[in-house]
Amino acid sequence: MYWVSVITEAGIFAILALGLDVIWGWAGDFDLMFYGYLALGSYMTFVLTIGKPTPPVEYIIGWHLPVLVSMLLAIAVVVGFAAIVGAIALRNLREIYFAVTTLGAVSALYLIVENYTSLFDGYNGVYGLINPGQTALNLTYNGYRILLLVVVLLLLFLAYLLVQRLSRSPFGRMLRSVREDERAAAAYGRKVFFSKYRAYLFGAAFAGLAGGLFAIFISAFNPSAWAPQELLVIYAAILVGGRGNPRGVILGVFVIYIGLIELTRFLPSPAARPDFAPALRQVLIGLMIILMLRFRPQGFFRERPGVDPGPRPAGRRPWRLRVPAAAASSDTAAASPGAAVASPATTLASPEAAPAAPARNPGRDGQAADDGGTG
Amino acid sequence: MTTFLVSVGVGLSTAAILALSAVAFTLEYAISRIANFAHGEFLTIGAYAAYSGQAIFHQNVAAAALIAAVAGMLAALALNAGVIEQFRGRSAITVLIATLGVALIVQNVLIMVYGAANVSYSFAQGGLHHIGPFLLTTSNIEVIFSALAVAGLIYVLLQYTRFGKAVRAVSQDRALAQVSGVPARRVVMGTWALAGAISGFAGFVLADTIGTFGPQLGFSFLLLTITAAVAGGIGRPYATLGGALIVGLVIQIAGTYTSSAYQLVYAFLLLVVLMLFRPNGVFVRRSSTAVRA
Amino acid sequence: MSAALLEIENLTKSFGGVHAVRECTFSVPEGEVVGLIGPNGAGKSTVVDLVSGFGRPDFGSIRLAGDQLIGKRPDVISRLGLIRTFQTPREWRNLTVMDNLMLARRRFDSESLWRSTAHARRIRREEESDRVAVRGILDRFGLAELKNELAVRLSGGQKRLLEFARIAAAEPRLIILDEPMGGVNPVLGARIGDAVRHFAEEGRTVIVVEHNLPFIERTCDQVVVMDLGEVIAQGPFSGLRGNPRVIEAYLGMDLGHG
Repeated sequence: MYWVSVITEAGIFAILALGLDVIWGWAGDFDLMFYGYLALGSYMTFVLTIGKPTPPVEYIIGWHLPVLVSMLLAIAVVVGFAAIVGAIALRNLREIYFAVTTLGAVSALYLIVENYTSLFDGYNGVYGLINPGQTALNLTYNGYRILLLVVVLLLLFLAYLLVQRLSRSPFGRMLRSVREDERAAAAYGRKVFFSKYRAYLFGAAFAGLAGGLFAIFISAFNPSAWAPQELLVIYAAILVGGRGNPRGVILGVFVIYIGLIELTRFLPSPAARPDFAPALRQVLIGLMIILMLRFRPQGFFRERPGVDPGPRPAGRRPWRLRVPAAAASSDTAAASPGAAVASPATTLASPEAAPAAPARNPGRDGQAADDGGTG
Repeated sequence: MTTFLVSVGVGLSTAAILALSAVAFTLEYAISRIANFAHGEFLTIGAYAAYSGQAIFHQNVAAAALIAAVAGMLAALALNAGVIEQFRGRSAITVLIATLGVALIVQNVLIMVYGAANVSYSFAQGGLHHIGPFLLTTSNIEVIFSALAVAGLIYVLLQYTRFGKAVRAVSQDRALAQVSGVPARRVVMGTWALAGAISGFAGFVLADTIGTFGPQLGFSFLLLTITAAVAGGIGRPYATLGGALIVGLVIQIAGTYTSSAYQLVYAFLLLVVLMLFRPNGVFVRRSSTAVRA
Repeated sequence: MSAALLEIENLTKSFGGVHAVRECTFSVPEGEVVGLIGPNGAGKSTVVDLVSGFGRPDFGSIRLAGDQLIGKRPDVISRLGLIRTFQTPREWRNLTVMDNLMLARRRFDSESLWRSTAHARRIRREEESDRVAVRGILDRFGLAELKNELAVRLSGGQKRLLEFARIAAAEPRLIILDEPMGGVNPVLGARIGDAVRHFAEEGRTVIVVEHNLPFIERTCDQVVVMDLGEVIAQGPFSGLRGNPRVIEAYLGMDLGHG
C-alpha cells in the first residue's frame, strides 16, 4: 500500500508537470505561479465538496457537490484565475521580469490565503476530504486507494496522449517558434501574446486537475503544503526529464519522486531532528537543478524536433540557383548537384543523421537547446 | 496623524534595511547581469552567523555585525565562483533558476544545522526616543544611521576610488574593460564580496529588528528587495536608495491601515505596477521587453 | 508601369527629438524590385520597422494595396501579405530547417488548440502537401540535406539561405529585405541576387534595404535614396550617378564600383 501511495502521488505530479511543460518547455515562460494553481485547485475542490464549515474552522462556499463536479468547477476557477494573472504578466513581461512577477503573484496568494482566514482557514487549512464516495462505491479504504491510483494513472495516460498529440501538431510547433524568436514569429503572422496566453490557460487547467486529485489523495491542504521547497521539485523534475518532451517530463517526475524518496528514505535523521532528512532531500533537489542546468540543460530526453522522413522529389528538377560547384563548400555543404541527388536512402533510413556541414558547429550543441531565451 | 508618523518612522527603519539589501542586489545585477534569487540567502547566512557568534561575543553588537558581514561576503564569493562564473554566457533566466536552486540548498542546509524553528538574538533593544514627531527605538536609530553610513561608503567607493571606476567599467562592458587593462575577474569578485558583506550586515540588522527569525528570513525579504531595486532602476545603485525608500514607506503605511501581514501583498502590487509601467525604474523612461503582437 | 502596391506618404517618426524619418514619401510598384539606399542614419531601417508594424509613426500614411497599415500589429500586417527580414538572420533556432519552412506556410487555422487536437488527421493531409512544396523549395536553395537539422547548427551562409527559403515558402505579396548582404561573401551574394530576381519573376514585390551598391545595381528595377530621414531621389540606379544630392549624401563614395 505504501507503493500505491507513492505512485499515486507521482502520477498526480506528472499531470502537473505536463501542464507546466506546456508553459515553460514549449512556450518558454518560467512561471513560478504554477504551483499556486495546484493549491487553488485543491482548495476549491475541498470547499465545494466538504459542506459547510463547523466553527472555529472557517472557509468560503462550503457546498456539498459530488466530488467530480467539484473538480470540474475547481478547474474552471483556476483557469479563471490564470486568465487574470496571464493577462497581466504575459502581455509585456518576459524572462526575468516574468519570473519575478509570477513569484510575486504566488507569494501574494500564499500570504492572502494564510492570513485571510475566512478564505480557506488560514494556516490550519482545510481537511476532512477522506476518500469521497468510498461508501457509495462500496469499497474498503485500501480498495478506494487502489481505485484512486488506477484513476490517476488513467488520467495521466489520457493527458499524455493529448499533450503528445499537441506537441507534434501545428499548435506545438507554432508555440515553440514564438519561444525561439518572437519578432520572427510576429513577422510571420503569429499572435505572440495570444498563443502564450492560450498555452498558459491550458497548462493552468492541468494544474487545476492535479489540484483536485491531490486534494482527494491527501484529504487535507494547508499552506505548509506549498512552501517554497515544494514548489521547486516539479521544476527539477522537468529539468531532469527534458523540457518540451512529454515522455521525458513524466519520466523525470517518476524518477525524482520515487528515486529520490527511496534514496533518502534510508538516510538517518538525528533523534531530536525529524526535519533533517526532508531538508537533505531538498538539498539534493537543489543540487540536481544546478547540475542539470550546468551540464545537461536540455534534460535527458531532448525536445524532439519535427523530423521529416519523407521522400525527396525525384525526376523533374524545377528552377535551381546557379551554383558554382568549386566555391560552394565555402558557405554551404549541400550545394553541389551531385550531393543533392545522392542520398534518398540515407534520409529515409536515418532522418537525424546528416553529412558534413551540420557538424560544423558541434560545440554549440549543449548550449543550443538552452540559450536563446528558453532558459 | 500620529499613527501615520509612527508608521513613517518605522518605515524609515525598514526602508534603511531594504536599501542595503537592494543596493547589494543591484550591484550583483550590474556586475554580472543576473537576477540573483539566492540574494536573500546572504542575509540569512549573515543573520545566522551573528547568531552563532553570539555564543562567543555575547552583547557585543559590533562584533556580531562584523561576523555577519564577513559571513555574507564569504557566501557571495562562494556563489560567484561556484555558480555565477560557471554559468557565464548562459541566458539570465537560466542563471536565475540556478540561483533558486542555491537558495533551496542554503535554506535546507540551515535547517539541517540549526533546525527549522525560529531563533533570536538576545541583544538589548534600547529605549524609545522621540525624534521630532517620530517614535523610534535605539535600534531603529542605529539601523538608519548605519544604513546611511554604508550608503555613503558605497557612494565614495564607487565614485572616487579606482575600484569604483573599474566596477562601473566592468558593469558597462566586461570584455571592453578587460581589453582596456581592467582586471575584470578580480573586480567582479570584489563587487560580489562587497555586495555579500552589505547583505550579511543587512541580514543581521533585519533579524535584530524583527526579533525572531528562521531559515526563510532572507528569501521572504527577496521580493521586497527586488521591488525596491526595480523601483529604483535595476543596475543603478544610487537610484536604488530612492526606490527602497518608496517601497519601505508604501508598505509600512499601507500595512498600518490594514493588516501588517499583507505588507508583501502591497509590495507585490507595487511590483506589478512597476513592471508594467516602469520596468526600468521610477526615475527612468520605460521600454517594453516583448514584441507587440 | 504597374500599379503601386505600397504607398508611403509623409511618414514621420522621431525618437527623443531626433527625426529618424521626416515626411518620407515614395511608392513601390507591384512586381518590381526597389532598392532603398542611403548613408547610415538615413532612416531606412526605421521605415522598414514602421511599414512592418514594429513601431508606430508619429504622422503619415502607409498603404498596402489600399489597406492602411498604421496602427496594425506586426502579425496582422504579415497576414496581409508582407514578409520582412531583419538585419541578422532570425531563424527559429531549436526547430529543424523543415519546421522553419513549414511554419512559413501560414496554416494559421490549424494552429488552434481545438483543431490541432481534433482534426489531427485532416491536418496531416494538409501538411503532406505543404511538405512536398517545402522539399522543393529546400532543393532550390540547396538545403535539402539539412532539412532535419536544427536551424541553430547551420553556418552563417546557410542561415541566410534558410531565410530566403522561408520567404519562398510563405509566398508573400510584398517582401522587405533588411540588409540581406550583411557579412555575405560574393558567391552567396550571387545566389541571393538570383533569389531576389526570381521573386520578382514570380510576381512578388521586393524592397531591398542595402549598403552594397553593386548588389542594388544588379538586382533593382529602381532605387529610392534617403538621407537624414528624407527621400532625396527615386529612379533607376543609372540615373543616380549624376544626381548631385545623392553624391553629396554619400560624400564622394564611389557609386560606380564597390
